[in-house]
Amino acid sequence: MSVVEANKTAQVGVPDSWEPKVIAFCCHWCTYTGADLAGLNRMNYPANVRVLRIPCSGRMNPQYVIEALNKGCDGVLVCGCHPGDCHYVTGNYYARRRMMIFKRLLEYEGLEPERFQVRWISGAEAGKFRDTVMSVVEQVRALGPLNLTREIPQFELPAVPDGQEAFNAVPEEVMPEEVSA
Amino acid sequence: MTAQDTIRARARELLENGEVTTFIGWESGRFENQTTPLVITDASDADKLVCNEYCVNTLAKYARDVVTRGKVGMVVRGCDSRGIVRLINDQVINREDVYLIGVGCAGVRDRKTGELLKKCAECRHGDPVICDEMAGDAAGRPQPSERFKEVHEVELMTQPERSRYFEGVYAKCIRCYACRDVCPCCTCRECFVDQRRENWVGKQNNVAENRFYSLTRVMHIADRCIECGECERACPMGLPLMKLNRKVIKDLNDLFGEFESSMTLDEEPGKLITYDLVDCEEFM
Repeated sequence: MSVVEANKTAQVGVPDSWEPKVIAFCCHWCTYTGADLAGLNRMNYPANVRVLRIPCSGRMNPQYVIEALNKGCDGVLVCGCHPGDCHYVTGNYYARRRMMIFKRLLEYEGLEPERFQVRWISGAEAGKFRDTVMSVVEQVRALGPLNLTREIPQFELPAVPDGQEAFNAVPEEVMPEEVSA
Repeated sequence: MTAQDTIRARARELLENGEVTTFIGWESGRFENQTTPLVITDASDADKLVCNEYCVNTLAKYARDVVTRGKVGMVVRGCDSRGIVRLINDQVINREDVYLIGVGCAGVRDRKTGELLKKCAECRHGDPVICDEMAGDAAGRPQPSERFKEVHEVELMTQPERSRYFEGVYAKCIRCYACRDVCPCCTCRECFVDQRRENWVGKQNNVAENRFYSLTRVMHIADRCIECGECERACPMGLPLMKLNRKVIKDLNDLFGEFESSMTLDEEPGKLITYDLVDCEEFM
């Protein structure tokens, strides 16, 4: 039994039919072309990944990541051109800073680091695209479904004071200690 | 002559001379320890102005709202002045639009407990960074030693603990947007949460939408946050918002060099709107 299978069976309540859902935001000029090349070369990679095209990795808005995770994705992959190769010259340099900060913020908030990954994949690196997708999907599969709380948990409201006592009570704002003393 | 007397006298002079059309300061409520921001346009109201250790509000954001009426006079402490620098550097107001009267600040107190506010205990610059004149002396209080203490505390938790901790925070959030309304960095003409047609953030108040709002807010103010702590003070639910803001500032400091936002009018561009070819590479 592989490590992945061992992890999966260890998780309680995960049905066998569960498949991870990974969304990949791919830069139009490099990674999307790389994914295209992977297809042309008849390379096999997991069908768990949903490829979404963005014009440039600099277009990657951190909000997309939070929304994807909130709406049920188990992992997010952001891909762009190698630094220096950006079609818009500087887009991925900005993206690099932004994603470095955002990744740390998400991990600080308690997200597993494997669930949000960023990779630079050029238009010729079909093999790297396949390997990245395979490794991300395997890592997310090992972690299991993302158990984000999405609703407000139920809680009991404090008892409402009633009767004459509550009516006579003076709000504390009106009567500070130094005045009443 | 106390700083308060100087402020009243100067506010009266400025309004009478017509050098400013409005003046922003604080006034007392029924008791001395209850103060609210006060905007006056009449010199006879100058005696309402107070300046004591219960002036909890940071005034910077009000400058944006009243600057359309003409030149604004303001009382500024460290946090107010850095907020004004932020507004000027973000090109929301011009330097000529404001006349700043600086006061040294040794921290303000909670009106109920009388203790130093959390934002003031962590404050690193009590004295104004820019002003046109000083009323009274600079306070010159020592800087607290550890800037990122509370961030370290959270970082030491395990991953599930942190996840639970912040989900607890978002479960409490009522999304009143008070943190945005007081923030001197949040000066977009139309905030993304108000763009209802684009529907960036849903109308429901649940953990998912609260997380979306909070993380977006943190990323929007990331490299511009002046660490005034007003968001935390204004939060009616007492959420630890500075733990998020400071985390981003700490990472920016670690990765791209030490900086402190909004200290001078000619500061270099923010860390997230610039880049460096030799930034560390971790996405290969």
